[in-house]
Amino acid sequence: MARIFWVTCPYCAKRFYCHTEDLRHKDIDLRCPFCEREFPQEKSPRIDE
Amino acid sequence: MGGLRSFIETLERERPDQVVHVTEAVDPAKFEVTAVLKHLELRRKYPLVVFDRPLDLHGRPSALPIATNIYATRERCAMALGLAPEDARLGLSLEYARRERATVAPTVVAATDAPVKEIVLTGDAVDLRDLPIVRHHAMDAAPYIDMTSVMRDPDSGAYNIAFLRNMYKGPRKLGLHMSPRHNWQIVRKREAKDEATPVAIVVSHHPAFYIGALNVSAFGVDDYAVVGGMFQRPLRLVPSATWGDELLIPADADLVLEGYVLPNAREVEGPFGEFPGTYGPQRVRWVVEITALDRRSDAIYQDVFVGHPDNWVLGSFPKEGSIYNAIKGVVPTVKAVHLPTSAVGRFHCYISIDKRVDGESKQAALIALGACDFVKHVVVVDSDIDVYREEEVLWAIATRVQADQDVDVIKNVKGATLDPSQVDDIMGAKMIIDATRPVRRPFEARIEIPSDAMDRVRLERLIPEDQLRRLG
Repeated sequence: MARIFWVTCPYCAKRFYCHTEDLRHKDIDLRCPFCEREFPQEKSPRIDE
Repeated sequence: MGGLRSFIETLERERPDQVVHVTEAVDPAKFEVTAVLKHLELRRKYPLVVFDRPLDLHGRPSALPIATNIYATRERCAMALGLAPEDARLGLSLEYARRERATVAPTVVAATDAPVKEIVLTGDAVDLRDLPIVRHHAMDAAPYIDMTSVMRDPDSGAYNIAFLRNMYKGPRKLGLHMSPRHNWQIVRKREAKDEATPVAIVVSHHPAFYIGALNVSAFGVDDYAVVGGMFQRPLRLVPSATWGDELLIPADADLVLEGYVLPNAREVEGPFGEFPGTYGPQRVRWVVEITALDRRSDAIYQDVFVGHPDNWVLGSFPKEGSIYNAIKGVVPTVKAVHLPTSAVGRFHCYISIDKRVDGESKQAALIALGACDFVKHVVVVDSDIDVYREEEVLWAIATRVQADQDVDVIKNVKGATLDPSQVDDIMGAKMIIDATRPVRRPFEARIEIPSDAMDRVRLERLIPEDQLRRLG
């Protein structure tokens, strides 16, 4: 398992996780699997890594 | 050659207890299919389930029913290969290994002789929302098609078939996840030339097609020929709507999607509930543009309940036979090899041997670890232990193992990228537990009831039948 980081969706406040090497500090919007909205990770109120 | 419908009809005729129909409408995109399967699992029931009236992604009644949980028992997998359900233990594993090597070259038929060509849609006529695509688990990013993708190596021309997850992204767009295995190599070769990779997603076919797709053959072996070996007759192929003879598709499939893996295009994909029973994380992965849909007029949509026995049984027996054969060459007294569903059909390997000299058990374990990179923990037991009965294996560990003598750990070995406990992306630790009795010193005997007493005493004569039935 690669390293992951947990992220909180700024729209629905639900949490999911992403592949660190692919996505952390990258200029790619994340997509919340619960509300399906996209957001830059800087907008997340909480990131755990 | 029949498709999925013929297999289900045979099963309903010969083993009606194995098939359940859900006739009420269900919404697969709202977890209602997997909720039914989970309820059954909680009751320890694993039938093949046909959903007769699923909704499609528009929320309208789908033209295609869904069949799922097909592979959740070894008995049904044996029947899919034409074996008796009673042969579902070592017999199934060894027959799989035999057929895996006995490849049969495919044959090409005309479109008029191909059921999968009864309905062909191309371009914008294709709308994936017309399909009853299943959303499986709470954190899944979208409904996913989780059956096999077929690609062709541009150098050798060999076809490769692999279970790859495809995330619904739009009416003609999917997100594709690949691990660094055979299909990944094919796409990388094409991408190096900035070329799109043709892909045929075989969404539904006879179960033997998918069982054959799980072969462990080397890169370059034509998987269509291996699948022919499983059927014991040539797999019938037909030119695809998009590429003609350049990419052939199975003529007897129920449903095939044709498309391109776009070169050097990546988008976010996932999370997705994967085989270990945990979610693979959101990643940046490939994109597939769908160009055509081919299907039978009475096609049944197929889905695997990934992360559950439907997925775990499929992961186990196709590897067991080749591991057994590899061990047999060095430890001739090997009796059985089993990858139990309790360890997702991949991570634990139980081996029984008739040990003649100390050290044979570890040799058998090392061969298993070398033969399959998914295997993480190997337990070797004596032949008095039934490796298909997990409580017996655990009893052997409890009574025949001293951890300082009988447990070995090997660090930094190639593992499984989706193993959530693995710290490194590629490498992990392997463990061998030697739960066999020592040969070179006296060891206490296992308790037993004299066999003549077991034969003499008939339970049915001593305990009334209705009381026995109540015991379950």
